[in-house]
Amino acid sequence: MATEHMLRMGDGKRIFLTKEKILADLKDGMADAVDLGEIPELSGDELDKLLDIIIMPARMVGVEPGMEVPVTHDIGTIRLDGDQGNSGVGIPSSRLVGCMMHERAFGADTMELGHIDYSFKPVKPVIAQEMQTMEVCQQNMVIPLLYGAMPNMGLYYTPDGPFENPGDLMKAFKIREAQESMEHAAKHLTRDIVWIMQRMMASGADGVNFDTIGAAGDGDLYASLHAIESLRKQYPDMYIEAGMAGELVLGLHGEMAYNGTVLAGLWPHQQAPLVAKAGANLFGPVVNTNTSRSFAWNLGRAVTFIKAAVKASPIPCHVNMGMGVGGIPMLETPPIDAVSRASKAMVEVAGVDGI
Amino acid sequence: MSKEETFKMLSDAIVSCKKDAVEAAVQKAKNEGIAPAEIIEKGLAAGMNTVGIMFERGKLFLPHVMMAAGAMEAGVKILEADMPKDAAKKKLAVIVNGTVEGDVHDIGKSIVSTMLQSSGFEVHDLGRDVPLQDFIDKVKETGASMVGMSALMTTTLPGQREVIEMLKEQGLRDKVKVMVGGAPATQNWADKIGADCYAENASEAVARAKELLL
Repeated sequence: MATEHMLRMGDGKRIFLTKEKILADLKDGMADAVDLGEIPELSGDELDKLLDIIIMPARMVGVEPGMEVPVTHDIGTIRLDGDQGNSGVGIPSSRLVGCMMHERAFGADTMELGHIDYSFKPVKPVIAQEMQTMEVCQQNMVIPLLYGAMPNMGLYYTPDGPFENPGDLMKAFKIREAQESMEHAAKHLTRDIVWIMQRMMASGADGVNFDTIGAAGDGDLYASLHAIESLRKQYPDMYIEAGMAGELVLGLHGEMAYNGTVLAGLWPHQQAPLVAKAGANLFGPVVNTNTSRSFAWNLGRAVTFIKAAVKASPIPCHVNMGMGVGGIPMLETPPIDAVSRASKAMVEVAGVDGI
Repeated sequence: MSKEETFKMLSDAIVSCKKDAVEAAVQKAKNEGIAPAEIIEKGLAAGMNTVGIMFERGKLFLPHVMMAAGAMEAGVKILEADMPKDAAKKKLAVIVNGTVEGDVHDIGKSIVSTMLQSSGFEVHDLGRDVPLQDFIDKVKETGASMVGMSALMTTTLPGQREVIEMLKEQGLRDKVKVMVGGAPATQNWADKIGADCYAENASEAVARAKELLL
């Protein structure tokens, strides 16, 4: 009987597959990325390397010496103080304590301050609190401390915001009205992000982390790129990290363009040059995990996409790795066997600059 | 032109998202003596399937999906006179869709509603943060044969299970299929809570709904 190796499905379930089946899944996942993104295949050596990483006997693996990369961090300190059954571990701690723990105990190379709602819009009413906290954190920390939040353009539509919900308008065949609603929302989002970051920079922030750009579709990306451009003009030295929400920019508007490129339908390797053009220092590409496929299928697909993004990106790429992205299974606390293998693969095969 | 070529012409017209092109194609098919039901099923609906797949692949966008759906409606209108009374207006099935209570995520669920609607289902979109009893009330009110529930957070995911329990308690479970989706939902979760299906994305939601309801 052929030896079978433990790996997981995209939903985290343990499975056992032969080397041949793992390699077949790696190739299938790669082929899916090649087909969707119209990008090159991985080489035979790279597929063999991915296979080696997957079947390594240790529960947890690491990169080869000399290949270590920086790790940046998002979601603020919610990982520690969140206590609502989400990915937080419910340790009562101030945000200052949380930031310092990430710096001094967890080995984060950059950290960010984030608000509990973690979207830009709700920061406006509590901006004074955020400014004060940023200043106190900066006085106690050494590593770059950014301000992080999600653009989250959905908050500008009814019932949360002033503009009619494009989803409702679309369903009523009011296509132009829906597009106009997105255009208005994008302008407000850009304005709010810039306004908030002007104040955070005045409080000593080292920069900004845009987390989950594009979550509300192409308008969300449009607004974020314009905010990046505006901030870069105002603060030539600030650090701007642009992380995506998903692998594909959903075309909810369909016609919004930046620098002559239509934003809808862009894959990671097409997003990277635009993010760099807008003025970001760092790009955070995302590849989504398919929960019905094996870890091997998802890893082959994710590495193929990210390798192409790294190649196309004029700025460093820090790939998003975690629950349901980067080949990692969709689990609240992602299993370390999968997290460490996927991370090693991203560094050693996709060639990412960081995680 | 063979029947197959005519169906392809109809499908291509839908993919072009142009109302004029669809109307012309339907008229041509009608003149060739093809039955209205075949024109709709093998031509127009097949085109809408392709539109859905192209949306998922980032080749067409939501406004195109709606334009294609609008063009399909215009095409079906031409056939109305040749179909049994009200048959053209008849929807495939009635589906109640929404994001469960406590969860304010709207966009993915709205895309699913839009794709189901443009594929011929009558969709009652309850919005987001929907009180769980509202799903049940809407099923009773509309006679829906499917409930779709989205959740984007692990903290709100259990709402999907609660609605299934409520459907059982109120004697409706056997009459209604349940579809679940949203980032933390998985096939495993769907199996665990006794849902009839799980859909990874909008075009899969349409495919699963057709499998279960037609």
